[in-house]
Amino acid sequence: MESEVDGILVAAHELKAPLAVLRQLALSFDEMNSTNEEIRNEMIAVSDRAIKQVNDLIKIRRLKDGLFEMEPVAVRAVCDDVTRELNHLFIFNKRDLFIKYSNRSKLVTANKDLLHSVVYNFLLNAMHYSGENTRAELIVKEYSGRVKIIVRDYGPALPMDVWREMKRGWISKPTSIAMRPGSSGLGLYIASKFSNFMHAEVGAVRHRDGTSFFVNLPISRQASLF
Amino acid sequence: MIYVIEDDKIMAKCIARAIKSPVKIFSNAIDAMNEIINGVMPNLIFLDILLDGPDGFTFLNELVSYSDTAKIPVVVVSSLDLREKDLSSYGVVGVLNKDTMTPEEIKKYVRNYA
Repeated sequence: MESEVDGILVAAHELKAPLAVLRQLALSFDEMNSTNEEIRNEMIAVSDRAIKQVNDLIKIRRLKDGLFEMEPVAVRAVCDDVTRELNHLFIFNKRDLFIKYSNRSKLVTANKDLLHSVVYNFLLNAMHYSGENTRAELIVKEYSGRVKIIVRDYGPALPMDVWREMKRGWISKPTSIAMRPGSSGLGLYIASKFSNFMHAEVGAVRHRDGTSFFVNLPISRQASLF
Repeated sequence: MIYVIEDDKIMAKCIARAIKSPVKIFSNAIDAMNEIINGVMPNLIFLDILLDGPDGFTFLNELVSYSDTAKIPVVVVSSLDLREKDLSSYGVVGVLNKDTMTPEEIKKYVRNYA
């Protein structure tokens, strides 16, 4: 019960932020220093992010309903979809995104929808914590008979409490990261929940100049058509 | 020059639009403090509290610890409800809540302090 209340608090905290920004953007229409088009685009970007988070929260509640079947998923196609979706946010925030695919096996066993959310949340987190004019990296490779998706940022090192939870393989509740400055803790919590549902190994590596988040997925035995 | 220290880029731009005077935006406290140490003193600072790296309170502590920077007026802009807190010993001249603030309130501080 306590954990559920904590989770609601974190979700409320993080979802309030885009609403406050939207309100300011609406008020900005009177300040004619910027064009309406610019404000409109900012409102769409902020709304999209908030809607995605709400959808992910709904999915967490519905994981046990059997709606998310495991299937062969083309991992590069999912990553391409996510990077296309987030491209304008990276440009807007002056971050570069470096992408490298070296996996020979193209299919993994996962749920396409959930895997999309995992990669999306990792990349959004990387964008948030990377400094301006630095880059985030999305690397997909094969490792010990699995496909490993790594998202590396060059921001401040991951706090020890979050790293410990990620090292255990999952974030049990988002309380410890709730008050992280400019928190993207909810995104990591969502990614952690979805990875566990897919029986994927999830974790983080601390670097002196940033953090790598990764998810290891089993290779699908189905012949690849890609 | 007015500083806006805010890690949400869009929120920072909203505040800057309302200010209308020359503004410099910082996404973290360290960059802003480095600029001040290099001698670029702002007339007024709009400061978010929950920042990446050192938070707003750390920045305020640093600011009041030097005689010259202690005089810089600061308006705290936060989603935390700090309106009841007395932050005047930190040089804070006002507190704006991100959920309810308006461009007019921002302009009022610019008129009075910048």
